[in-house]
Amino acid sequence: MAEPKTKYDRQLRIWGEQGQTALEKSSICLLNCGPTGSETLKNLVLGGVGSITVVDGSKVELGDLGNNFMVDESSVGQSKAKTVCAFLQELNDAVKAKFIEEYPEALIESNPSFFAQFTLVVATQLVEDKMMKLDKICRDANVMLIFARSYGLTGFVRISVKEHAVIESKPDHFLDDLRLNNPWPELKRFAETFDLDTADPIVHKHTPYVIILIKLAEEWARNHGGVLPSTREEKKEFKDLIKAKMIASDEENYKEAMEASFKVFAAQGISPSLQQIINDSCAEVNSLSSDFWVLVAALKEFIANEGGGEAPLEGSIPDMTSSTELYVNLQKKRSTKAEADFLVMEQRVRKILKKIGRDPDSISKATIKTFCRNARKLKVCRYSLMEDEYNSPVQLELQKYLTDEDYSTAVGFYILLRAVDRFAANYNSFPGQFDGEMDEEISRLKTTAVSLLADLGCNGSNLTEDLINEMCRYGAAELHAVAAIIGGIASQEVIKLITRQFVPMSGTFIFSGIDHKSQLLLF
Amino acid sequence: MASEQQLSAIKGAKVLMVGAGGIGCELLKTLALSGFKDVHIIDMDTIEVSNLNRQFLFRQSHVGQSKAKVARDAVLKFRPNISITPYHANVKDPEFNVDFFKQFNVVLNGLDNLDARRHVNRLCLAAGVPLVESGTTGFLGQVTVHIKGRTECYECQPKPAPKTYPVCTITSTPSKFVHCIVWAKDLLFAKLFGDKNQDNDLNVRASDASSSSQQSEDVFERKNEEDIEHYGRRIFDHVFGYNIELALSNEDTWKNRNRPRPIYSKDVIPVEPVSQNGNQAKNLVAGNPSSISAMASLGLKNPQDLWSLKENSAIFLEALKLFFSKREKEIGNLTFDKDDQLAVEFVTAAANIRASSFGIPLHSLFEAKGIAGNIVHAVATTNAIIAGLIVIEAIKVLQNDIKNYRMTYCLEHPSRKMLLMPVEPFEPNKSCYVCSETPLTLEINTHGSKLKDLVDKIVKAKLGMNLPLIMHGSSLLYEVGDDLEEDEVANYAANLEKVLSELPSPVIGGTILTVEDLQQELKCSINVKHREEFDEEKEPDGMVLSGWTQPLAVEKNGKGSTDNGASTSRVSETTSLVMEDDDELQIIPAQIAKKRKLSDISSAASSDASSFRNEAKFKRKAEEADNNNDVVMLDGGSSENSKKKREQ
Repeated sequence: MAEPKTKYDRQLRIWGEQGQTALEKSSICLLNCGPTGSETLKNLVLGGVGSITVVDGSKVELGDLGNNFMVDESSVGQSKAKTVCAFLQELNDAVKAKFIEEYPEALIESNPSFFAQFTLVVATQLVEDKMMKLDKICRDANVMLIFARSYGLTGFVRISVKEHAVIESKPDHFLDDLRLNNPWPELKRFAETFDLDTADPIVHKHTPYVIILIKLAEEWARNHGGVLPSTREEKKEFKDLIKAKMIASDEENYKEAMEASFKVFAAQGISPSLQQIINDSCAEVNSLSSDFWVLVAALKEFIANEGGGEAPLEGSIPDMTSSTELYVNLQKKRSTKAEADFLVMEQRVRKILKKIGRDPDSISKATIKTFCRNARKLKVCRYSLMEDEYNSPVQLELQKYLTDEDYSTAVGFYILLRAVDRFAANYNSFPGQFDGEMDEEISRLKTTAVSLLADLGCNGSNLTEDLINEMCRYGAAELHAVAAIIGGIASQEVIKLITRQFVPMSGTFIFSGIDHKSQLLLF
Repeated sequence: MASEQQLSAIKGAKVLMVGAGGIGCELLKTLALSGFKDVHIIDMDTIEVSNLNRQFLFRQSHVGQSKAKVARDAVLKFRPNISITPYHANVKDPEFNVDFFKQFNVVLNGLDNLDARRHVNRLCLAAGVPLVESGTTGFLGQVTVHIKGRTECYECQPKPAPKTYPVCTITSTPSKFVHCIVWAKDLLFAKLFGDKNQDNDLNVRASDASSSSQQSEDVFERKNEEDIEHYGRRIFDHVFGYNIELALSNEDTWKNRNRPRPIYSKDVIPVEPVSQNGNQAKNLVAGNPSSISAMASLGLKNPQDLWSLKENSAIFLEALKLFFSKREKEIGNLTFDKDDQLAVEFVTAAANIRASSFGIPLHSLFEAKGIAGNIVHAVATTNAIIAGLIVIEAIKVLQNDIKNYRMTYCLEHPSRKMLLMPVEPFEPNKSCYVCSETPLTLEINTHGSKLKDLVDKIVKAKLGMNLPLIMHGSSLLYEVGDDLEEDEVANYAANLEKVLSELPSPVIGGTILTVEDLQQELKCSINVKHREEFDEEKEPDGMVLSGWTQPLAVEKNGKGSTDNGASTSRVSETTSLVMEDDDELQIIPAQIAKKRKLSDISSAASSDASSFRNEAKFKRKAEEADNNNDVVMLDGGSSENSKKKREQ
């Protein structure tokens, strides 16, 4: 049974067949195949991306053997792109692997249209001005881009995409869509068929906690002028009310009700972040709008009309103590409502599509269904252009990071990673890269970093000597262990971008191998 | 750029890697490229197809070979100048004793199960060798450092035991699909294909009143020359038909439950199977036992499809037939293996048929396999990150750079702008029975429980001992080992069957037992307390061990119930979650704040300021939840593990 399905079994359990199909359709371009680049790509080849193109103009040198697993002694003197590509191809024959023996820096200058053919470009070990140029090229061509760089014990990963909308954001923790304080009519009627004061202990013990809470929330509201508990005392009182209904100490369903009582106090209606998405100007759709925004436009109408302020019902319920019969019944009530909500949404989507002059069937039922199931968890990520971040960062943010002890190492490395590029532009080598006078290199780097900060309107006094010394000590070395970490993180973000599942990280991720405090800096 | 001192520490180091799987492959590569020269690897596993999406040292052609050996060869091909010593063996084998461990400067774990992790932890403690421990599941991962006397050991914080279910839920009143899976896997599969002598709670008697001679007969025995098709249908009808009828006759059970529906094979699939000849021909072509598949012979392709009752029944009969016709030699010795296609097919089909009986929603083979195999999500990216972190940590350990040791958690979603979350290691837990000598308390019915129950359920299952020895004062009650005399073996075997209070040296309330594992060099004492009754639902073991783990109540709160007021806040899960299978194990960082808060708050005050800094950070965000002192709210807490477990 050596089918791809078996091979990918463990990851299919993370992103499902749809995610896998998206990966298999993608074409990835890697710029520079040193350890950071080749490790990033290795993880993606193993995962089964459609095709890879490795771009690197250098030849394998003896020194590469010290940090790049994909080259060996026999390949010294040969094209690095070719060698790495051959290694990667061996990992997964389902992937189409090719290479181009050319320096990415040259390609960026000479052939910008080259990049338009890819789903995503992974750009590793580029210096600042090349990053900015490539960024513009990819932005214009609507190609996703991710930068990764390892430098001694530090490194960074930064995504650059104009807009990335996620339907299946799969958050860590999210409140179940139970509608305890806002039951729809059928659920309300179903709840009314229960009597919490029933004399039958077996029935009492098997009443699902959802029903208990709906009934008690209603009872509370009736006795408190239609308002639910809000203060600490009231919430406690509400819990006591649940407790008082218990007739035996082993009633798991009542214990669950007490544990879940906070769900009753949750605000009705949609979350602020969803509100923000439906208020986005992109939700005013036209013929150029993406499917995502068409769906959001339909959602906006739904919430304002049939939804009565709520998004479509998700339809699934968590485990709870209950008889199988009641549980199945409850589940049925939910799936009926979810199906009804979906049908309304579908009609609205079709209507909008027609209105903007698109084929009303151009968005599939399955997509609409997935959208409905995840409507409360939508995410829209937008990334600024590198040029904007580098030339005019939010000064206030930067200054704040510089003075915050928690961020001092991360922001220090952020500045120094940029300073070494300026340094290299001035002195033709990275600080500490060649045997030179270390003290001189340190003081040069310090001057460079301080003037960089001054250009950004910030005070350089927060950069510690230790960090500057450390940076010089690195001598631009690409350590394998750090490359493995940076490559791992970069490939993970690539997977999130391509599968359109999970929320990719925003801002610049800075790794610090000194204290492992690895943070996202948002400018 | 590494300093001279660092380089010499790395070059001179002798490293033991336990596990050559997802983390192991990455780790071996990163060690080789970081200058390590002498690496030993222990792994008992052979390569499976489902490893190939991340264990990049292995190829399709290596399937079935030793992981440790293939990993060694693959790395040597690229880096011939280092020494790699592979052991295709179980780390629990006696050859890997304390002396073996003592030769290493550091031990790096890339394991996939709690049992082996605990075993290695004990050997590292006994040998005084630092341990760097790791685990991943999906996008989550962690690396921790354990050094005897300086940091907490792997077992200082309780690890929840795998979920167990009351026997009657499994045998008579399943209400969830997982109950059907447990039934199909642990009862039916084990009964049909496993060791015939083991205890099994399946009813095997067909009490047909008309033929009393059959009373004593086990219906699972295949009669001489019985047609395999006939046998399959007989088993089918017995477990899905007769046994359900039998259960239905107990009216009390069904008062408040839906009555299950008996299913007989002839009603689902008319006798005289249509395509038998075709099947046979197809099966003959398949020579390789691992490629034998009931799905293939029935033309079912997609493991994510939901099969109808009819399809499940056909798979059930076909899989059973294939086991008896193609894999007859293995019958009697099989245990369920999630990578055994035919076994997974059989268990999926059996669980689904049972689920149909009880009105429980059916599941696809893909889903059923995840539940049955406790399969953990695994992906190359996380393993690469974790392996890199392990090496950085190992280098610190080799340089004795204590102040910079970190436990690092890799998160799925950045939390408080951190994707990697470092925490300074905690001090040893003074009440840990593994690294401190703290006695345990055992409540048990000394007039009802046998020594065997104590050995199986406590000494092995809970204390994780491999070669235990049990003493009461100076008299030996039980011992295992190769060097025992015959009469000793007979004596201990007899003791196993005795009730505690009737042992030669009676164990009663107030007795203090000494339990020791000579291989792990671990010794602990257990105070015995007599108790008559145990709750079958909540205390299915019929005995309760305390002092070794937090009370269950802590886990309960973990259901994520916090009065957090706003729907966007996150609730911390209080359980530390252990995942079995590939590169499992996860303790979520949110839990650290909790654990520290509950148990260590007073001792934390005395620890040095720097180690407290991280703590303070956690606490700043942590608030007491309304009305509930047991639950902590963290705005970055993650709880995906429990969620995923449920999704499986």
